[in-house]
Amino acid sequence: MTMNRRSFLATTAAATAAMGTPMILRAQPKEYVLGASLPLTGPFATAGQLVAPAFAMAAKLFNDEGGVAGVPIRFVTEDSGYVPQNALNNYQRALASEGKNMIGYFADSTGAMKLIAPELKGENARIMGSTSFASELADPATHPYQYLSGPTYQSQFDILLQNIKNEGGQKVAFIFSNTEFGRDPIEHGRKTAEELGLEVVLEESTKAEGADIPTHVTKLAQSGADHCILQGYVTGVWPQLIGGARQFGLPVKFKGTFWGMEKLIADRITAEAGPFLAGYEGVMPYRYFYDREDAPRYQQYAELSKQMFAGTPLENYMSTWAIQTMCGLEIAMKAFRDTAEAGLELTPDNIAEKLAGISDWDSGGFFGGPVSMENNAIGTGRVYGYNPEDGLFTPKSDWFTV
Amino acid sequence: MINANLKSSYAADERVLNNRYKQAFVYGSILALVLFTLFGNDYLILIASQMGILLIAVVGINILTGYTGLVSLGHGAFVAIGAYAVTIFGNLGAGVIPAGLMPFVSVPLAVALAAAVGVLVGLPSLRVKGLYLAVATLAANFIVIFLIEEDLFAPWTGGMVGINTNVPNLLGWELDTKREMFGLIAVVGLVSLLAAQNLIRTRVGRAFIAIRDRDYSAEILGISLLRYKLMSFALSAAYCGLAGALFAYFYARILPEQFELALSLNLVAALIIGGMGRTMGPVFGVIIVVMVPELIKVLFGALAGDSAGAGQLRAPLQQIAFGVLLVLFLLKESLGINQIVDRILRAANRWPFARG
Repeated sequence: MTMNRRSFLATTAAATAAMGTPMILRAQPKEYVLGASLPLTGPFATAGQLVAPAFAMAAKLFNDEGGVAGVPIRFVTEDSGYVPQNALNNYQRALASEGKNMIGYFADSTGAMKLIAPELKGENARIMGSTSFASELADPATHPYQYLSGPTYQSQFDILLQNIKNEGGQKVAFIFSNTEFGRDPIEHGRKTAEELGLEVVLEESTKAEGADIPTHVTKLAQSGADHCILQGYVTGVWPQLIGGARQFGLPVKFKGTFWGMEKLIADRITAEAGPFLAGYEGVMPYRYFYDREDAPRYQQYAELSKQMFAGTPLENYMSTWAIQTMCGLEIAMKAFRDTAEAGLELTPDNIAEKLAGISDWDSGGFFGGPVSMENNAIGTGRVYGYNPEDGLFTPKSDWFTV
Repeated sequence: MINANLKSSYAADERVLNNRYKQAFVYGSILALVLFTLFGNDYLILIASQMGILLIAVVGINILTGYTGLVSLGHGAFVAIGAYAVTIFGNLGAGVIPAGLMPFVSVPLAVALAAAVGVLVGLPSLRVKGLYLAVATLAANFIVIFLIEEDLFAPWTGGMVGINTNVPNLLGWELDTKREMFGLIAVVGLVSLLAAQNLIRTRVGRAFIAIRDRDYSAEILGISLLRYKLMSFALSAAYCGLAGALFAYFYARILPEQFELALSLNLVAALIIGGMGRTMGPVFGVIIVVMVPELIKVLFGALAGDSAGAGQLRAPLQQIAFGVLLVLFLLKESLGINQIVDRILRAANRWPFARG
């Protein structure tokens, strides 16, 4: 290239501008990337396919709001088939191809979170949210870069047990799947029940799929429990257990945690097998999507859903699973934006510090009121009950904070 | 005219690399691996590391299935044993054995343990063959994973939630980046491959091949089926154990579910696709099994974009495309990619004369 007067002036001007630009601005990339693994195939493909559109909506919403300090954010989602190893491979692949532009990641299971956790060191660390509420992850000392977008399963048990106590319950049964997900809050629940003066009369572990329902129901009947908490199921086993107990004529009140509280599943069960879920209750950290009068953020989602998903079932209803994902993304975005606003570089440590420091955050209606991050989790929720007649989960308690 | 490989002595015929093409290929590959380790981009290093680990395990399966003719659907168990053993030995020996020497102790121990369990699992091969043996070995996979998950062993194995692994330290050199780990994997992978190539020209290797071709004929010739079948199991399990040890070093945490049936099937699939009973078969197989899904992903990504909506459509299509590709390979060339490559090389070698 020959240097003439014009190109010399242009080069000099550019060099001066570059030298005069503050360090932080020069370090800003053209875009930030947030990677995600979703179970688009495999046993939880139903959940993955319902959650995937949330990312498209999040991309539009966040970028319309100006991204992170004016830098747009791009989402890269990949299928994991609900296999933690695949999620880890996806994470490492995203890290290798996106480099420092990738400032966060979203994983699709407790297994994936635990598998990736020890990889989050030095250059390879990124802020990571997920679909998991595993109690072990809510510990900034051991998992400084990972967070939960709601209460841990242990906290959810605390909320349920407190609610049972308030209702005058005395004898509680725990039925849970023989998985890490199922076992997570059991020991803690036993202690909480003891503190509250409730008697745990049965701790029954079942297969996660294809459980021997009559045997478990018989044991439940023999235990004499007045309340039964179900944990560690998503689409199967828990409805069959409730159905079996009703056929048996058991008056036990059943309660579930987040993954057993999806309206779409409850509606499908009611349509296929009748209204036996009447009276089923459980803890839900978020408002349901139809309860958006006091939730301005949900109203924005509803408008966007109408535009983006017209003609699909997603047009009018967002599943609790998708809401959980959106909440996780909102928390990450708040941490990114807080970091950028403080004039700090978006390093994992800076973001983690801002994330851990989120306090009195008005989420726009996800939760009952302003919430704070404690031990990288948000310990709030309330009890909802299902009514098969109108197919709605409605509040049965005030918001609990644990 | 056919270009023969002239050999003027038995010694020349017995060499591991018995012609110039092989020598040039191996030396060229070593040079390429060195350059790749130094200059390959992070993404390619990651994929190549995964291929290297899988390759070592598939070389092991090749000894058992390709050379000895014994089918196993349980070799994921030996990868698990290698991975867990190297981690557990590493944890138990911490403070007793200097960190820089630990891999030199824990890896051989892990490999030996995998080989010993391999002998146990191989025992049914003395009575049953073919599909029956496949089912018998399948049990090994389930039993090993069950034991790893058992509460009784959880203090050592971490149970269902897995266990964090150690960073390998070779005489004070901590291999804490993927690139450094790839260096180690490449060296071990290359040595494993050459060792397998060497094996089949020895008395042991010839015994394996005799058993594969007709086991009772081999016995009539004086080959002890007990000894050589179990040796084949032990060797292949040792290779898988070695792959497992590298797996544990490569990833920061291991979970039992990483070593379940899917892994065993993947190993066998890679071997069948690449070509059984050929040294380069596992290499081609692993390239296909690891690279093709990546290429399909890149291709679909380029066509449909990498947005969430496209990802939703892409994921099932990718799996279907990979499945169809595998079926086509098996239909069109049941002897594996190695056979296709052989044909191409033969044609190139004889060009412009007879082809095929």
